[in-house]
Amino acid sequence: MIEIGRLCIKTAGRDAGKKCVIVEILDERFVLIDGETRRKKCNQLHLEPLKDKIDIKKGASHADVTAEFKKLGLTARETKPKAKKIRPRRLRRSKLATQATAKPEEKKTKKAVKKKAKKAVKKEEKPKEEKK
Amino acid sequence: MRGMVEGRKKSRTFRRVKVKTPGGNTKVQYKRRKPSKAKCAGCGAVLAGVARALPRKMQNMPKTKKRPTRAYAGVLCTKCTRKKITQKARQYISSS
Repeated sequence: MIEIGRLCIKTAGRDAGKKCVIVEILDERFVLIDGETRRKKCNQLHLEPLKDKIDIKKGASHADVTAEFKKLGLTARETKPKAKKIRPRRLRRSKLATQATAKPEEKKTKKAVKKKAKKAVKKEEKPKEEKK
Repeated sequence: MRGMVEGRKKSRTFRRVKVKTPGGNTKVQYKRRKPSKAKCAGCGAVLAGVARALPRKMQNMPKTKKRPTRAYAGVLCTKCTRKKITQKARQYISSS
């Protein structure tokens, strides 16, 4: 029953109750699964094999598995990479004062330009707070 | 002085905590007890990973801190969830 392409339901862990397909058999105990679950190594005892079988090769990529799942009407798990949030860092008032008096050397690197833009944002924020 | 405590606080539903004050005295404070441990709905075993706190604290906690991230989390223990899922899987196999 445990063979490449066999559809299973995962019974343990946070992916419990989700359908997955066996992509590769690692040894007597572990298999590599993918599908509605995360692509990971899994103990065979934590799987409940179903009657269905999918036609995939050993070590199939996530894209192949997603395509095969679509034919069955299932949607494989998708993760979008998160865009990094650039949070404006707040400086202490004393530090802002010293920065205002000291003349910064003008460097034409990308970092310096970004830093200047951030400082401008901060300076706008601070006087707004004081007005309040 | 004796008799300065509210009558209702003498009940054992409140717990007594000895607190040392900055003045150097030890005083008794009456605090509420935490709710009991959550039990599995299937077998009655104590559930792991379920937060126990007074209602206001539970309200302020994010959902993921109050229970595990799993099917039937906070309701069934891990053994019972596995049994239930295998049961459902076998029903699905026999019906399809």
